[in-house]
Formats: sequence, structure tokens, C-alpha cells
Amino acid sequence: MISWTAIEAIAYKEFVHVWRDRRVMLLIVVLPPFFTFLFGHAFENSTIRDVPAMYFDADHSPQSQEFLALLKAKDIFDWKPWNGDPIGKIDLFTAGVDAAIVMPAGWGQGLQDGDPKPIRAVLDGSDTNTAPSVQGALQETLGDYQSKKRDELIENLPDEIIDLGKQLPVPIRHEFSSMMTPWDVKVETLYNPKLSFIDYVMPGIVGLILQLITVTLIASTITREREVGTLSQLLVTPLRQSEIVIGKVLPYLVISMFLIASTILVGNLHFGVKFQQPLLLSITCFLFLLFSLGLGLLISSFSRTQTQAIQISIFFLLPVMLLSGAFAPLGQLPRPVRICSELFPLTHFCRAFRNVNLHHSHISSIAGDLAFLAVGAIFTCAGASYLLRIIDD
Amino acid sequence: MPESLIVLKNLSKRFGKKKAVNRISMSIRTGEIFGFLGANGAGKTTTIRMLCGLTKPTAGIGTICGLNVWKDRFRIRSRFGYVPQKFSLYSDLTVGENLRFFAGAYRVPSQKIKARTQKVLCDLDLERRESERAGRLSGGYKQLLAIACALIHEPILLFMDEPTAGLDPTHRQAIWDLIYELSQAGTTIFVTTHYMDEAERCTDVGFVDGGQLLANGSPRDLKEGLKGHLLEVQVEPAMTAMFEFRKLPGIFGADLRSGNLRIQAEDPDALLHSWQVHWPFPGLKFLGFNWVEPDMEDVFQAYSRGYFKPDGDHPAPVKLAYKV
Repeated sequence: MISWTAIEAIAYKEFVHVWRDRRVMLLIVVLPPFFTFLFGHAFENSTIRDVPAMYFDADHSPQSQEFLALLKAKDIFDWKPWNGDPIGKIDLFTAGVDAAIVMPAGWGQGLQDGDPKPIRAVLDGSDTNTAPSVQGALQETLGDYQSKKRDELIENLPDEIIDLGKQLPVPIRHEFSSMMTPWDVKVETLYNPKLSFIDYVMPGIVGLILQLITVTLIASTITREREVGTLSQLLVTPLRQSEIVIGKVLPYLVISMFLIASTILVGNLHFGVKFQQPLLLSITCFLFLLFSLGLGLLISSFSRTQTQAIQISIFFLLPVMLLSGAFAPLGQLPRPVRICSELFPLTHFCRAFRNVNLHHSHISSIAGDLAFLAVGAIFTCAGASYLLRIIDD
Repeated sequence: MPESLIVLKNLSKRFGKKKAVNRISMSIRTGEIFGFLGANGAGKTTTIRMLCGLTKPTAGIGTICGLNVWKDRFRIRSRFGYVPQKFSLYSDLTVGENLRFFAGAYRVPSQKIKARTQKVLCDLDLERRESERAGRLSGGYKQLLAIACALIHEPILLFMDEPTAGLDPTHRQAIWDLIYELSQAGTTIFVTTHYMDEAERCTDVGFVDGGQLLANGSPRDLKEGLKGHLLEVQVEPAMTAMFEFRKLPGIFGADLRSGNLRIQAEDPDALLHSWQVHWPFPGLKFLGFNWVEPDMEDVFQAYSRGYFKPDGDHPAPVKLAYKV
């Protein structure tokens, strides 16, 4: 028989502990919305822009100037004055840029003579994202320039050449005109049509902040009582371990529900992220927080000192941050690592949240994640309550 | 004779190889003020923690009201209160909040919580401090609050682990007055202490040393065992004499008391006789002697120095429990 009076007594006391600790109170009220704001802006856009770059036009032809003008119109580059030897080895690091582009002499002439020369590009590959993006942007601009030139060519063809062309057999003419038209893919983007990264990453930000706060906040509660000696006092009362655990989790659950709401509010009001199916999202948040608190409590009942509890929490949180798919899809991870990441509550939270919010999924498609979170919550809370029993030595 | 409330049979606890409590057997009757005496590390706290069901005995059994202190610990908990050695209440909660919390924890029905809280506040002179944070109280009031929290559910038995350690004489007296009042009202008290003057105030005491129970009885009976065997001599200079005496074979202890030397010897009569025949210390001046009434300090010293032996022909302690 669980006594509600007893649970109420513990829950009230725990709440007072947090409430009276003004510094912690201030931190947990201010930090989650602030971090959402900060991280939101950090990850608002996934496209690479303002890459420091420099160019050297050894050609000085109308063509090279035209191409460079197209390139300059893109905001991927932040152009710096040229610094270095355009023919020999180019040292990007000393020049303070990530990309250097050299238009070789005779480039424009080569285009006209049917002998196009490659443009020289030197890229910094140390950051694995920048170089491919820059290369892509160069290829794309070059492609655009080529189509533009082709259109000009066709536009300005003299009539006699067109007449000459009309003498060709129809199938060849068709094939030829197909070759002259850029082939295209018709893209239909679902779920996040504007491809705004913030919509994808918001659950990751919210989940990560709450994961961090819940675990560290509750991890010291039991160990603090163990250190101060109040745990012995609690354990000589007729309180059951389950009552202690429920009484401790409840106030933190209420607090963290408020915190998650505050971060979601920032996501909605400041970043314009839309949140679908509020009931389903609330259930996801609730189970995620319950599991996280259970984990914190498990760490707490397992540790001997508060320092230990915080250390264990950090060791637990480190892989969670990197492997739970908060900021990048899990599909990129190798299979064995993915299995490991399936153990973290944040992984299931992010997946369920995205399924609901981006894919407008029905409850059935996130049932697995919700079940995992629920089982995890029960398992960790039961474990914490069992470990409370081991009180000496 | 009232029945036994607490019974220990060969209760033992070892931590690894260390025997913290070694086969203690004794019983404590309802209504007693039982003083559990011993030096630091003698096993007092471990015994209390076993009786409170906080640590599992490695051997033997203990019962409270006939219930096993480990197996039935959840059933006995509402019947006793425990005041631990170290202050262990919530410093960031007020006096009133601590009391109401423990009332809830002890399952005091919610409609009774207010009245009970008011009563213990009044009984323990804490009324004016109800809204003070527990952490800001002085040592004496902290201890009173700890006792108040242990009494909130009106237990029939109260365990107190060194409740007066480090307190000033006024608060020590206040706590003992409280113990008397509780006892008067029918509460059994199990108190540990290493202040021997406090041992005198108990109705029954147990001496524990190295995890073993050396003696168990009323202070009067225990002192009786030393009666007529405690010699006090006047020697000058007393301090030099004390160190000289302690080196002598057959002398267990020599202590300064109000300028005289109190001697615990194997055979004090023979010793005195030999000194009257021949005084062996040329540098010391023998001024006189008398036989003195032992107090609990003497009894404690006698036990811890091994003065009483289970098989010797020395004054037999009452209910000797050495090596049961």
C-alpha cells in the first residue's frame, strides 16, 4: 500500500530543496530557453556559407570575367584579396582562406576553340564538409554558365545553319535537341518542404538540454542524502523505497515538463517551428523525461558521493550527445554503434518527436519508441528503488 | 517485572575481517533508560544501526517487541524513533517543515499532523523557532529538533546515539530532563554515551568494548562490584607518582582525582600492606590513604582495563557477559 501522504511529504520537501537553492533555480529557469535560442541559431542553417576564398584571373577574358561574376553572386564565398603564387604551390593556410580559384590563361579562348581548359581550384579538406560544398558550388556555377553559353549559341545561330540542320533526319534532330536541353529532375520534397534545418534539429536541441538538466539535477538528490546522513533517517521511517522514488521523481517531473514547454515555446515563437499533434508530443516528452529522471535516480542511488554521481552522469551524457542522432541522422552511423545508440532515451525521443512533427505520423508508428521509453522509465525507477535497499558498506 | 522490549542474542556484525559487534546478548525491559557505554569505535553505533534495521546483522538475532530487527524491519519502524549521532535533518527546511515532513514519512494521519507538530514543538521548547531554517540553529537546538523529529509519531522506544556529544552543560541537562520526561510517560530509551556522569542517570547500562559486551546491569550493581576495592592515596608529587604507579605490575590504573591518586589494583589490600611495610619510592612522599566509593567512571575504567576477568577471583561483576 503506497501512502499518498508520505509521497506528498517527500515531493514537497524535494521541491523546497530546489526552490530554496536560488542559484540552481535561476539556472534551470534561464538556461533551457537561452540554450534553445543559442543552439537554434547555431544550427538554424545547415548550408555552408561565407567560406573565405580568393581568386586569380590569369585569363582576363570576357568569359572568365563573366564566370567570376556568376561565382561572386553566390553567398557561399567570402572573397579575400589574392595572396600567393597563381602558378606554383598555393598555401591556403598562410593566405587565410579555405579555397583558391585560378582562371588559367587562355581559358576563354579554349572555350571558343573547342578545347576547354579546367579551372584550377585548391581546397582545404581538413573540415570534411567545406571542400565538397565548395566543389559542388563551383560545378554548379560552371554548369549554369555552360547552359547560358549554349542558349546564347542557339539563339545566335544563323538561319542557314538552322536550315542545314533541318535536312538532318528527324530522329537525329530530336536526339540532338534533347542533348542540347538540360536534363532535369523534378523534385517533390515532403515533410520539410522548405528544407529548413531548424525544423529537423529542434527536437535534438530540446531533448539534449532536457536530458542534461534532468540527469544532473536528480543525480545528486539521493547521494546528497547519503552524504549528509538524512538517508538513514528516511530509511528508519516506515517509508517504502518505492514511495521515496516516486516522491523524488514527481517534483522533478513537473519542473522538467515546464522546462521542456519553455524550450518548445522558444522554438515556436522565435524560430517559427510548428509543433503538430500536441497530445502525442506531450506523451513523448513525458515518457522521455520520466526515463531520464529514472536514469538520474539510478545513478544517484548507485553513487556513494555527490562528486561521483556528477562524474557518472557526465560519462553517461557524453555518448548520448554524440550518438543519439540529435543533430544528424542515425543512418550515418555504423551498425554496431547504432545498436548502442538505441539504448539512449534521447534517441527514441528524437525519432518519435520527428516522426510526429515532420512526418505527421500516427501513434502506431512511434509506439515502439514510446514503449521503449516507458519500459526504460519503469526499469530505472525500480532499479533505483532496489538500490536504495542496499544501505551500508 | 516488566517484560523485555529488546532482546539481543549473539548479535554480531563484521565488516570484512573486522568484528564490529561480536556476539552481544542482552535484554532491555520496557520503561528502562538503557545506557549503552563504550569508547569510540567500540561498536555502539553499529549495534544501534542493526537494531534500527539499517544494517543487516551477520549473525545472531535481535528482536524488538518480539519482531526480528532485520526481517520484520518494515513492521517495527513505526514503533521507534532514531536520533542519529550526526545531525541529519534537512538544513534548508525550516523547523516546522522538518517536523511535518517526518510526520508524513511516519504516516501520521494528515488530520493529526498539526496537533502532533504543535505538541513536540511545545515539549521541546522549539515553538519560537518554528520558521527558522534547521541549518541555522545552534548545536543544542539542532539536537532538540532531531529528537523532536524522532518523537513526532509518538514511538514507544527511542534510540539516541550520543545525543549530548559536543553540547554545553545547559543543553545536556535539557536533553536529560527530556529523557526523564519521556521515560516517565512510558517511553523506553536506548541511549549511547561516553560521558560517565550520564551513565549514572540510566536505569541500566551495558559496557561494550571492542565489539563485546563486558558488563550489563544497573549502575548501582556495577559499582557494587568495585566497592571496598578502590584505594585512594595521597602522595606528593602526585603527577610523578601517577606515572610511577602505572608502571607497577598488579596495578591496572592510577588516575588523579582532586589531587589524590585513585588506584585500581589486582589486590589493593596486599599492595597497601606492602607499602605500609616498605615504601618503595624514595622520591615520593606517602601522606595517607582511604577506601573510596566507586563511580561509573571507575567502573568503566575497570572494565576497559581488563580489571574484571571472567575466571579470576576478582570482584565478580553483576551479570558478567564477557565472552558469552
